[in-house]
Amino acid sequence: MTVLAVSSVSKLFPGVRALDQASFDLQAGSIHALLGENGAGKSTLIKILTGVYTPEAGTLMVDGQTRKFATPRDALLAGISAVHQERNLISYFSAAENIMLESLPNARGMINFKQMHEQAAHWLESLNVGIDPRTPVSKLSVAQMQLVEIAKALAQQAHILLLDEPTASLTPHETTHLFELLRQLRDNGTALVFVSHKLEEVFELCDRVTVLRDGKNACQSQPLAELDRQQLVKLMIGREEQIPERPDTGRHSNDNPDSPALDVRNVDTLSGHRDISFSLKKGEILGLYGLVGSGRSEFAKALIGLDTITRGEIRLDSIPATIKDVRTALAQYRMGYVSEDRKSEGLILEHSITSNIAITIWDDLKNSLRLLGNRRETAAAQPHAQRLQVRTPSLQQQVGNLSGGNQQKVSVAKWLAARASVLIIDEPTVGIDINTKNYLHELIWQLASEGTAILLISSDMPEMTLLADRILIMNDFKLTGEVANTRDYESVSQAIMSTIHQQDTTLEQH
Amino acid sequence: MTSHTTTPTEASRFRPFAFLTSNITGLVLLIALLATFYSMYATGFTSKFNLYTMGRVMAIDIVIGFAMMVVLVTGGLNLAVGAIGVAAAMFGGWAMESLGLHWGFGALLALAFGGVLGAINGLATVKTGVHSFVITLATMSVYFGAMIVLTEAEAFRALPKDFTVIGKTRYYGFVSALLPIALATGAILLVLFRYTALGRKIKAAGANPRAAELSGIAVGNTVVFCHCLSGVLAALAGLMLTARNGAALPSMAGHVGQDWLLPSFLAPVLGGTLLTGGTLSVVGTALGAILVSVITTGLLLMKFADFWLNLFLGLILLAAVLLDRVRSVYAARRQQMQVD
Ligand SMILES: Nc1ncnc2c1ncn2[C@@H]1O[C@H](COP(=O)(O)OP(=O)(O)OP(=O)(O)O)[C@@H](O)[C@H]1O
Ligand SMILES: [Mg+2]
Repeated sequence: MTVLAVSSVSKLFPGVRALDQASFDLQAGSIHALLGENGAGKSTLIKILTGVYTPEAGTLMVDGQTRKFATPRDALLAGISAVHQERNLISYFSAAENIMLESLPNARGMINFKQMHEQAAHWLESLNVGIDPRTPVSKLSVAQMQLVEIAKALAQQAHILLLDEPTASLTPHETTHLFELLRQLRDNGTALVFVSHKLEEVFELCDRVTVLRDGKNACQSQPLAELDRQQLVKLMIGREEQIPERPDTGRHSNDNPDSPALDVRNVDTLSGHRDISFSLKKGEILGLYGLVGSGRSEFAKALIGLDTITRGEIRLDSIPATIKDVRTALAQYRMGYVSEDRKSEGLILEHSITSNIAITIWDDLKNSLRLLGNRRETAAAQPHAQRLQVRTPSLQQQVGNLSGGNQQKVSVAKWLAARASVLIIDEPTVGIDINTKNYLHELIWQLASEGTAILLISSDMPEMTLLADRILIMNDFKLTGEVANTRDYESVSQAIMSTIHQQDTTLEQH
Repeated sequence: MTSHTTTPTEASRFRPFAFLTSNITGLVLLIALLATFYSMYATGFTSKFNLYTMGRVMAIDIVIGFAMMVVLVTGGLNLAVGAIGVAAAMFGGWAMESLGLHWGFGALLALAFGGVLGAINGLATVKTGVHSFVITLATMSVYFGAMIVLTEAEAFRALPKDFTVIGKTRYYGFVSALLPIALATGAILLVLFRYTALGRKIKAAGANPRAAELSGIAVGNTVVFCHCLSGVLAALAGLMLTARNGAALPSMAGHVGQDWLLPSFLAPVLGGTLLTGGTLSVVGTALGAILVSVITTGLLLMKFADFWLNLFLGLILLAAVLLDRVRSVYAARRQQMQVD
């Protein structure tokens, strides 16, 4: 049964035709993949279906009736709920308040807090995440916020559920649970739309597929079984996928094994890390893996001075370092951090692409009169934007107007520009399409082969096994093991998972 | 169309900041329209003397607007603009008259004093984490009160002639010598915000402090700098007003400097500086101040009383804010209609 039919929808932004007569239809009891490169128009389509944007042309039919949504509320009333690509939680509200925001249980105008917490806990439990519903959202990690956002959408109990890259910052562990739940919903007759750049997930979960390219249909509501990976990629990018050759020949020839670029010794932090020790050599890519909530990003932040180190020592180039803020980290020790939270920590959405890329090097760009004009800034930023294929009508475009993946490229590009000698990269490819992901991986290799020491935090297991030389496992704010990367996905991911689980069982025995 | 490769030529064709230029053309048109209206209906509007006195008011209003603008860009406010302006001018008057210092030296001291008062606001904001609204609300009373206590509310009327003559000089019979001072200040600010790394850091810190900090910008320092700069600019406006009056008067900006509040907000807001921080327009602020002083002068010539003026300026501030909303909604609609 067709519950949602979208026909010939168009949407224009200044300088961009985001959607150009796009169509698809959605069946009850089906999970429909919506695919396309960064900037193809996926999120724009989702926003039209949820009343955030009004299309210039085209029609929407919900349950056989033509609908026009003026506000997100209209869409909700028609039974459509969504998880948007960008986080939209109210940070000083609790997780429960956010989840139940649209339907707060109340009696005579007073909110029933007990009931609210119970209901919110129910939705969080269904996702198998251990988040206390009373926690303020500002205390949650990016992945936890994503899970709260999913729980919020589930709480609407809508019969049409749109998911725009819901798994972008989740590890396979959380993803597995999410998928179980989504299949359950499907079997109960819910119609789902699933947007992702991870094709393995798409093949695992979805039954039909619509691909967008430059806002147009490259294919429309096709059974997924008819297509293989190669064909899908070809539909998305318009040509065959290029698999990058890992150019790691000679990458370790010039490094000096005796002098680590970053040496962490018995470090405790205020946020709760205990006895963290490892060393990172020049030209090495060291992976740091752990489940959501294990404290990976928090540790990265402690390294660059955003959290207090209560014990232990950090050495950079064998010199003991006290880093009190990011400025010291960058200016004095040439250490940089690519944040996993591009919206609030990585980018200045109101400012141009060039300003966002050049921000880390403004001081170096001054001319002999110590002045810095737009022309110099653009000249410095342009090669980086081009290298990462930032898709935009102009480099002066506000970053907030870019598609999610393109924003991510900018937030990585600014750290490529910074030329740090130690670079901590936290979830670099969240929301980035397959093609650019390959380029980005090549860039990371290249940086390492030029001598940059890289600490890579990634929930994306294939990415981890592709890039890292060694993988440290973090569990509950402690390092619990190290896995040598043999580049064999199956064995490495199993080794990682068993290291994590081993810890879990020992913990339970206590 | 979207494109992978981005070249500078494309960049110059596409202008996302067109709304700012339209804001500026709008102001210029409005000023021209009003000036035409007044020259027909307000007798004496185009007389050389009126143009000269209007120029003096304009120059001071421009600098007052700048003093607020440089704090608005951080996402903060400086309610103490007037209090600092008067306190610094009184300090300058004391240095020139009681200490007998050269007027240039006295003026420099006054600017530095304004800078210190501003920096105190900035430091208090950064160290306590309290919004600058509250901090400057408090320091406004503190600065003004301390000034009254120390000067015993006495004016400095015997200022050096070389100083007060600046307020009386006119070029070609109708251009006040204060105007070039305001324009030069504007030029310096324009360079600061458009052509220096510091200016860019200030805007970044104002728009998203967290992201700026994580990009290696010392956000606290930029806030202190902006408050300090605001103090210097307020002091400059105070000195200009003193030169115009020929004396440093404790009452020259009203009680606790409140007479400056409305003009200080009007100029930047009319000129397109966002109250949320991160975006500012130096030219727009100057034009906003020019618009306000043209309106005021004309109304005074048409014999409207002071309270009418305040009512009117308050309404303009409201209208400016509303217009901004209407404009963005209208722009969105028009964009949609073009497609059909
Ligand atoms: N508010 C906006 N103003 C201007 N342009 C916009 C706006 N929102 C989106 N666009 C443009 O519309 C196009 C489609 O964007 P959209 O966000 O739908 O892409 P997407 O397919 O979701 O990409 P991604 O995989 O990166 O999330 C992009 O070129 C983007 O720059
Ligand atoms: Mg998107």
